[in-house]
Amino acid sequence: MQRRAGTTTLAAPVRRVAPLALILLAACDGPQSALSPGGEDAIQLGWLFWVMLAGSVVLWLFINGLFFLVTRRHPHPMSRKLAEGTIVAGGIGLPLVVLTSLLAYGLSIMPHQREPGDGLRLRVTGEEWWWRVEYWPEGATEPVVSANEVRLPVGQRSDLELHAADVIHSFWLPGIAGKTDMIPGRVNHISMEPVEAGTFRGQCAEFCGLSHALMAFQAVTMEPADFDGWLAAEAEGISENARQAEGHAIFQEQGCGACHALRGTEARGEVGPDLTHVGGRGTLAAGVLPMTAEALADWIAHPEAFKPGVEMPGYNHMDEAELLTLATWLEGLK
Amino acid sequence: MSPVLRTLATLALLGAAGGGAVVGFGLYDVSARAGHWPITAWVLHTTFRNAVELRAPAPSQVPELTDDLLRLGIRHFDGACRMCHAAPGEERPATIRAMEPEPPHIAEAVVGWAPNELGWIVREGVKMSGMPGWPAARDDEPWAVVAFLARVREMDAATYRELTDPPQVPEGAPPHLGFCAGCHGVDGRSGNPHIPRLDLQSKGYLNLALRTYREETRESGIMAQAASAVPEEALPALAEWFAEQAPAPGGQPTDPALASRGEALAKARAEDPEVPACVACHGPEPDPSIPGGPGPEIAGQYETYLATQLRLWREGTRGGGPRAELMAQAARHLDDDDIAALAAWYASLGPAPRPSDPTR
Repeated sequence: MQRRAGTTTLAAPVRRVAPLALILLAACDGPQSALSPGGEDAIQLGWLFWVMLAGSVVLWLFINGLFFLVTRRHPHPMSRKLAEGTIVAGGIGLPLVVLTSLLAYGLSIMPHQREPGDGLRLRVTGEEWWWRVEYWPEGATEPVVSANEVRLPVGQRSDLELHAADVIHSFWLPGIAGKTDMIPGRVNHISMEPVEAGTFRGQCAEFCGLSHALMAFQAVTMEPADFDGWLAAEAEGISENARQAEGHAIFQEQGCGACHALRGTEARGEVGPDLTHVGGRGTLAAGVLPMTAEALADWIAHPEAFKPGVEMPGYNHMDEAELLTLATWLEGLK
Repeated sequence: MSPVLRTLATLALLGAAGGGAVVGFGLYDVSARAGHWPITAWVLHTTFRNAVELRAPAPSQVPELTDDLLRLGIRHFDGACRMCHAAPGEERPATIRAMEPEPPHIAEAVVGWAPNELGWIVREGVKMSGMPGWPAARDDEPWAVVAFLARVREMDAATYRELTDPPQVPEGAPPHLGFCAGCHGVDGRSGNPHIPRLDLQSKGYLNLALRTYREETRESGIMAQAASAVPEEALPALAEWFAEQAPAPGGQPTDPALASRGEALAKARAEDPEVPACVACHGPEPDPSIPGGPGPEIAGQYETYLATQLRLWREGTRGGGPRAELMAQAARHLDDDDIAALAAWYASLGPAPRPSDPTR
């Protein structure tokens, strides 16, 4: 009886802390975590993190151990020689060794992050507040244009050319690789090599205005064969069926093509995202909404409600049924 | 408290009580029959002159006061200002002359003012005088009236009548057509680059435009005045009249180099991703590769008018119907060169043939 009571008192704090720890640890997983890597560079960055963490723990224990020793175990004055030796060894020697080896390790993995790609080149442009994405496979003379989603083949190193159209943005895909700024008037590069197929989340990592926090994207890594198939399909215009559909007539009537391109039609606006295969993307409005007909209808009618400051004007003058027909049609453009 | 302070406080209280009594018990005689004391009149008038001189725009901001501007401004004057200031060669009615202050005859009103100052007075009005401000948030329109005012002193009654009389309208024309046609022409073609052609537009669009002018959601002091001077129930027939006029074929002569840059911009081929493709909403038909969209017809419209409207859109002062936000957003990034190029291209085009759909 007594024993059981004792167990209870011991376990109580553990039970109180456990859920919190679980919540905290849960943040280590997920599509936007550097700690559950799915790319070569993210694995290296993960290692860097664990090595640093282990080193810090060892140092922390060592310093606190020394402190414990001199305050509790041997609280006597030290000889001058020992004191000076401790200062030189612990204050100069040890940091020199630790920091130099960490620097050497860090520098040794840096070039890897910028290694040239194996062939596929992506050109990503940060805009307020979305991503213009162009795929340039080896030898291509014109790009396959998409937006707000990045697809990468597994096992190949792809080169990302980073641009900014208006202000500074930062392209950050922590599950696959590091983070690189996008600066107007300048071209930056980052290369990425996914190691497994999956879905990841990226985010703009440089404050870029009112809806900076709402500027995200989905990244999909695919087996090379799947990727090639997807890219070939993505390069196509909209289907003949889609051209003939009522949704397309509404798209034209509303003048959507002034700002959005639909390959295979007269719509060639470049102000906003290319919508040729908009329904095939995992998210809408740069990671803000799910890709469903309802979300599309809401977005088209009231974009400002979901992304303050957005350049797209609201179409709340459209009638409900027409809006839903248009949204359903757009969602069907895979 | 010192005796001086106590005296001052007592005087202040008495003053406040006296002022309160004048307001509260109606002691001041507001009768306009008596007029102001000479000293009051002098203070008010001097304040007015100096305030205008201080605030008037620089003379360099006055646009060229052309005959075309005058022809627009004089008709607005005739409908909106003549009632108080009278036309050249005519006297003001007795009731107007009994106003306090008395609105001067137009030939006297302009004396001593330069065009930039007249522009300020027409746009801003004069407080406590009965002179209203311009009834729209636009800076460009008052210059049309100034173009007339700058020449009013040498204008005789016959010329004034010639420039303001309504044109002959055919048998069976809707009521008030003469009033509209004075500016826009009986066939909807004004022949004046400041006044839009109406023969291009559909009935639906013209009705929308008239409604937004009346409701003052579309900014134009001239059209707000005109659309409210005609009874509301007469407007649909007028819209229908102009919509039924066959658009005159052919475009306006414009600079071909400018127009070709405008074409590239309008078709989103100018490598400028900030500018939406105008053709998606405004056509032109009959290019079969470009579907006609929801916007008004602008192919064949006057270059000057198009450029003015684009500038208003860019400034955010144009206003309009339920789709106005779309155009406001579309024009946000246009620079002066873009505007000139787009206006030149659309003006150079022949008008679209009238669509078969009667609701458009």
